[in-house]
Amino acid sequence: MKRIRIGVLFSYIILFIFAIITVFPFIYMILGGLMSFQETTSIPPTLIPHHFEWSNYAKVFARAPFGRYFFNTVLTASVTTIVSLFNSLLGAFAMVNLRFKGKGLIQLVLLSLLMVPGEAIIFTNYNTIAHMGLLNTYVGLVLPFLTSIFYMYYLQSYFGSISDTIYKAAMIDGASDWDYIWKILVPMSKGGLFTVGLLSFISGWNSFLWPLLVTNEDTMRLLNNGLSAFASDAGSETQLQLAAATLTVLPILILYLIFRKQIIKGVVRNDLKG
Amino acid sequence: MDNNKFVEVKNLRKVYDNGHEAIKNVSFSVKKGDLVCLLGPSGCGKTTILNILAGLLNPTEGDILFNGKSVVKVAPKDRHIGYVFQNYALYPHMTVLQNVMFPLIVGANKKSKAEAKKIATKYMELTQITELADQKPGNLSGGQQQRVAIARALVQEPQILLMDEPLSNLDARLRLKIREEIRSLVKSVGITTLFVTHDQEEALSIGDKIILFNDGVIQQDDLGQNFYLEPNNYFVANFVGNPVIDNFKITKTANELKSSQFTINLADLEQSRFKREIPDGEYILSVRPENIVPDPEGLFETKVDDIELIGRERILKFTFDNQQVRSLINLETPIKRGDQIKLKMRFNRVFLFTPEGERVY
Repeated sequence: MKRIRIGVLFSYIILFIFAIITVFPFIYMILGGLMSFQETTSIPPTLIPHHFEWSNYAKVFARAPFGRYFFNTVLTASVTTIVSLFNSLLGAFAMVNLRFKGKGLIQLVLLSLLMVPGEAIIFTNYNTIAHMGLLNTYVGLVLPFLTSIFYMYYLQSYFGSISDTIYKAAMIDGASDWDYIWKILVPMSKGGLFTVGLLSFISGWNSFLWPLLVTNEDTMRLLNNGLSAFASDAGSETQLQLAAATLTVLPILILYLIFRKQIIKGVVRNDLKG
Repeated sequence: MDNNKFVEVKNLRKVYDNGHEAIKNVSFSVKKGDLVCLLGPSGCGKTTILNILAGLLNPTEGDILFNGKSVVKVAPKDRHIGYVFQNYALYPHMTVLQNVMFPLIVGANKKSKAEAKKIATKYMELTQITELADQKPGNLSGGQQQRVAIARALVQEPQILLMDEPLSNLDARLRLKIREEIRSLVKSVGITTLFVTHDQEEALSIGDKIILFNDGVIQQDDLGQNFYLEPNNYFVANFVGNPVIDNFKITKTANELKSSQFTINLADLEQSRFKREIPDGEYILSVRPENIVPDPEGLFETKVDDIELIGRERILKFTFDNQQVRSLINLETPIKRGDQIKLKMRFNRVFLFTPEGERVY
């Protein structure tokens, strides 16, 4: 009995240590955003600021077009979410319910494309966008992310769990495919669609490499890039960087907190790793 | 328009993508207003036929005519059919009323909400589910879901109702009740109905006629009682009837039918019942258990292994050629387990099949 208790204690200690390791940077980021420059760079490091420098936030907005970054990010994340959700919905529906020639082959090709990491094709994507003259445009920012095989597969497994007699019944009832999608499929798959939408929005929000490549004008930057640009433009004012980082992370953190149950449920359901 | 051929299936054949031939050259017709049962064991192709009739599957070959017009190239929604699925296929996120209204508010000839509600209410009254209008299907019992499914199928006022094993998910008592309700409902609406089932009792009790399938082929297309009295072949004789028919291996010689324990003089059989001249050789003699009865002057003697009571009657079980054979007798007949008894057959009620299953007597 005693050995089991030690085991439990041990696992709690491990959990505690990892929790601290995970959470500490967030806490330090928030606290650091309220420190003075000296405090952020002092050795030994300061943990709790003497005096909360709320003015850091005002400076962040004064020194860089942070509002613009924010707007850009919300816009691109929303557009990619809505469009990719729509496309995945139609694609998954077609794969699950429609019968057409070459479906198996298409399925196979899509699946193998899923294996290609996004980073591997990012430069060809860049070339394409550049040739199309879409650098420094919203279209260039969102275009590669308007479809997602991953989300399509995710929804496919979700739709596949709906009995195909439901689709047949709808056909006999006179519903068109369009009716079926909006009146039956979507209401019956709210959970899956919600998860996909949320994951897509979060990844849109967190995107870093692609916007860094295709934008170099200040007005087209997203929050994450704005952050790095901000650092070089305004010198190494670490306290301002931390305040700006807090602003960047906060909305998505709030989303996580509100929807954590759905996110975990959605991710666990299909044995996917976040 | 030929009312006797309201639904006509001509030389229908279906081969699935995996090469399985589910339907092999099937033809039949259904009279307007009739309730026809498609009967057969699992995998015999009966549901495939229903799906092809509904347009959910395309036939490989053959034609289907509704009311004299070919519908093979017509979309399911334009075939004027209602379909009740085995699992009911109700839309789980809609209430009962919304489920029943759904066919009326989608598609090309959709109606206004108010009008749809009026029609839906009429059919919900007919199927006695009015008080369930605001419930979700998940909260309903199997029997109630069944009624919702039927109401939804009827609400478009189709000309043909297709039902795929609609009773198989219900418990035994409810099944008896609902099947009577279904029959009286479709008769009162006057709709031509095709009803798929694997339960012969169900088919015999509600069908105006029965089409028995096996292995993708029609075995018999007939009135219910004829499956019993005049089976087309060995399969039909063995599929229909409860308790199942008794089969005896026999050898025909010039003027005798000889089994391991008895001999029948060919002259004792009714000559007019022979379908054709039969050569000497191996045959199967089949007798329904009620036509093989205890009699002091019996054909052969045997020991009663066991007795099973089935209400008004009893089944005597005995062994013949290492196979169990049954005799159906009255409850009052004083026979006990272990008794040695003599049994005789009613020769004008026996059947004779070739080893391939063809009926020759």
